Amino acid sequence: MAAYNIVGKGVPRVDGPDKASGKAIYTVDVSLPGMLYGKILRSPYAHARIISIDTSMAEKLPGVKGIVTGRDLRDVRYAFVDTPHYPADEQPLAVDKVRYIGDEVAAVAAESEAVAEKALALIKVEYEIIPAVFSAIEAMRDDAPLVHDEQLEGTSAWEEWGVTKRKNITASSYAANNVSGRTFVQYGDVDAGFEEADHIREDTFELKATAHCPMEPHAVVASYDAVQDKLHVWLSTMGIFLKRFFLSKTLNIPASKIRVHHTYVGGAFGGKIDLFPYEFCAAYLTIKTGQPVKIELDREEVFMTTRQRHPMNITVRTGIKKDGIITAQDIKVIADNGAYRGSGPVVIFLCHGFSFPVYNVPNYRYEGFSVYTNNPIRGPQRGHGAPQIRFSIDSHIDLIARDLGMDPLEIMLKNARKQGDVIPNGDVLNSCGLTECIKGAAAAIDWKNKRRQFQASPASTGRFRRGVGISICSMFSGAMYYPFASAAIIKMHDDGSATLFTGAQDIGQGSYTTLSQVLAEELGIGMEDVHVVAGDTELCPIDLGSFLSGTALVTGSAVKLAAADAKRQIMESAAELLGVDNIGELDAFNKKVFQRQSPDNYVTYQQAIQASVLRKGGNPIIGTGSYKGYEKTDRYPSLSKGKGLFTGAYGFAAQTAEVEVDTWTGKVKLLRACTFHDCGYPLNETIVRGQIHGCSSMGQGQALSEEIYLEEGQLFNASFLEYRLPISTDTPELVDGIVISQEPSGPFGAKEVGEGSVAGMLAAVANAVHDAVGVRIKSMPITPEKVLRALNNPT
Amino acid sequence: MKKVIKLTVNGMEKELLVDVHSTLLDVLREDLGLKGTKKGCNQGECGACTVLIDGNPVPSCSLLAVKADGKDVLTIEGVAEAGKLHAIQEVFNEKGAIQCGFCTPGMILVTKKLLDDNPNPDEQEIKEAIAGNICRCTGYAQIIEAIMALAGRKQVR
Repeated sequence: MAAYNIVGKGVPRVDGPDKASGKAIYTVDVSLPGMLYGKILRSPYAHARIISIDTSMAEKLPGVKGIVTGRDLRDVRYAFVDTPHYPADEQPLAVDKVRYIGDEVAAVAAESEAVAEKALALIKVEYEIIPAVFSAIEAMRDDAPLVHDEQLEGTSAWEEWGVTKRKNITASSYAANNVSGRTFVQYGDVDAGFEEADHIREDTFELKATAHCPMEPHAVVASYDAVQDKLHVWLSTMGIFLKRFFLSKTLNIPASKIRVHHTYVGGAFGGKIDLFPYEFCAAYLTIKTGQPVKIELDREEVFMTTRQRHPMNITVRTGIKKDGIITAQDIKVIADNGAYRGSGPVVIFLCHGFSFPVYNVPNYRYEGFSVYTNNPIRGPQRGHGAPQIRFSIDSHIDLIARDLGMDPLEIMLKNARKQGDVIPNGDVLNSCGLTECIKGAAAAIDWKNKRRQFQASPASTGRFRRGVGISICSMFSGAMYYPFASAAIIKMHDDGSATLFTGAQDIGQGSYTTLSQVLAEELGIGMEDVHVVAGDTELCPIDLGSFLSGTALVTGSAVKLAAADAKRQIMESAAELLGVDNIGELDAFNKKVFQRQSPDNYVTYQQAIQASVLRKGGNPIIGTGSYKGYEKTDRYPSLSKGKGLFTGAYGFAAQTAEVEVDTWTGKVKLLRACTFHDCGYPLNETIVRGQIHGCSSMGQGQALSEEIYLEEGQLFNASFLEYRLPISTDTPELVDGIVISQEPSGPFGAKEVGEGSVAGMLAAVANAVHDAVGVRIKSMPITPEKVLRALNNPT
Repeated sequence: MKKVIKLTVNGMEKELLVDVHSTLLDVLREDLGLKGTKKGCNQGECGACTVLIDGNPVPSCSLLAVKADGKDVLTIEGVAEAGKLHAIQEVFNEKGAIQCGFCTPGMILVTKKLLDDNPNPDEQEIKEAIAGNICRCTGYAQIIEAIMALAGRKQVR
């Protein structure tokens, strides 16, 4: 492997000093002169028709500057998924119906938060309550109330980009039985595969909704400049260009008339991708009032209205040979996407997409449904489908291993995909360290000695019993989504340092730092010579946004190409100064260009850049680069059929857990969690470890305590006291292994690390609990109540 | 109703006319422009708004400003001196204890209190000291590592 000066090192974050000193400005910190404060009126009912809305009293309240209701916005529709198949089903404010508790009904902008709050109380809304449905399985029944009974036009927000060209798709049939999306994928001969099997097993699993819990609540500041006809927005987001696109579509103003400004993002985890009604309303109200408008959601609103992870019911049926080779698998997924489609059709596609790169299953059938209910809306959350599907499949594999009297490790190793495999959609695993991950994670937990192999009942009889478990997972490194590529611009300064302009958002994952490292390494300058301008749609080139774990590979590749472009220009200028004809004779690093044969013959970058300005018509040297996961639009993935190419590279991980179960209380304590992640190449080891820990901790929370508690659509635990995410004293002993597989398409070999290893922790813990006390918990999270019940009623 | 209060904030004396229902957090952020103190939940559960009052960590969202009358308040803006980051701030960044940064100000202030009282804490003492401060990004491991690295140092102040 090549020796690098800057990538691969755990250099401190470039945004660290700002964040450590309190100088970092987040959206909630933005304050503008004359700023109004907005509040949202929300539905108290899960399903009701709106008979009338009377805002006259609120309008008369002194200090109220603007009110908007659904009637003002009748035609405005948007959605995370917006295709002819799945037409946009969301409106910024409810028009005819409200569909969940928290659904937006009206927005007020006033001189203070207190006045805005008072105004909300003065808006009179008359509702007619109608029957509601709160579980996906019930919602699919023929007699269930329809959450969406409207007929929507099959238009597409992506059409102008030439993405979707299919015609004559009618959407109406898709709302039948509240089904908002379906994915069906099949390959091989499934029936023959089951025929061939020596053993067939089927299990059903259940997962509850969970919350993202970014520490920064969602917020927006919008300010319309009527003189320049320009809308300025500050928002807490993962993708500035995607937000601008949605704002442009919904407000019907050109994208270039909207400027998203940079702010730091206080955590996102998938929950800050969608366009939210409060963002639209702030923009609408600043245009209406001519004054800046800030809307800051409170913590309860964040829990209730900014998306949750999809609760799911998953059935896995597997056929396997006596020697542990899988012959067939049949998977059924039902996901509750809540009151609007959200990312429903995406998550059921991704349950397939994040799972089929793991095991080589020759005969495979997958069917997923996303379903409307009157629950809160569900959207992307770190791993987006991977935790649910990996929990189900690897719990199931553990059970199969027990049936066969085999070590689950052996089944995993025998069926795990390998480098060079071409998976059924055509994606090639050019880098795959899955086997190394499995071996590493098993060794780190001392699998051989600790696993009570094949025993149905626990060997120990004490109050506290320990066990170990394992699970494996994979994740994309970016995929195609608006704006379909990422670009980077590098501006050279006349002292030889550089400014990187990137549209990528640092949401905490460290992209400003890792992108700076890529730039510095490629360009041959130091970290102290790199400046970053990011998060501003006016200054920065397009970027996919920081989701689907694409920043390292996609934006990183764009930055590397831009740095190479700048370096080539510097070398061309240097070649003239050095009197060298061919830049192939030159080397450049440490801000100097050398003649390779006689290193004493050199010029500094500063000299080369100055010379370029003087001799080349004023060219100050600007490097540009762009990158797209794959070239052809006709190979974009199909959500419903699982065809097309999914991603440029898959990250892989294996996770092992050791738990201690208190058989008196049912409480499970995670003692040790080991994650071995194949991230291609770690651009920054400290940051990679931080991503692994963060994933592992989120997985721990979802395995043991995190659950959105809903009763007939009403959220009961919208606070950190009652929604129990891991705190410092829950931190287990963490072991992390970085597996280097050198992804050829990634910058310096890098690919995904930020999401995959949420997914393995769930089954690793469930399998460890089984190992410890001999009971199987098939629903997440594994609460003391469930463990005790299982211990008292062993099956 | 408004009331005049006196606060010493980061060593500077302030006389302020505040609403009696304003929290210390809102007065720090809105009246004094000290936005480094973060509002994460506004109900005393997440620890992001932690400041030191007379040296002790307090969630500033849960204290009325009038109740802080006459007190000495240290916010994150007062931790670095003369533009030089405090050792805790330096080490937090070196060890990867900062990701999104939103919990960082509160986390650094409770760490300061911990090390002021106990310059050589063990891992369990560290975990307990920061148990009231939620971090969703790091899984705490690198925060604990950072504080372990500071433990026993003479120069932590």
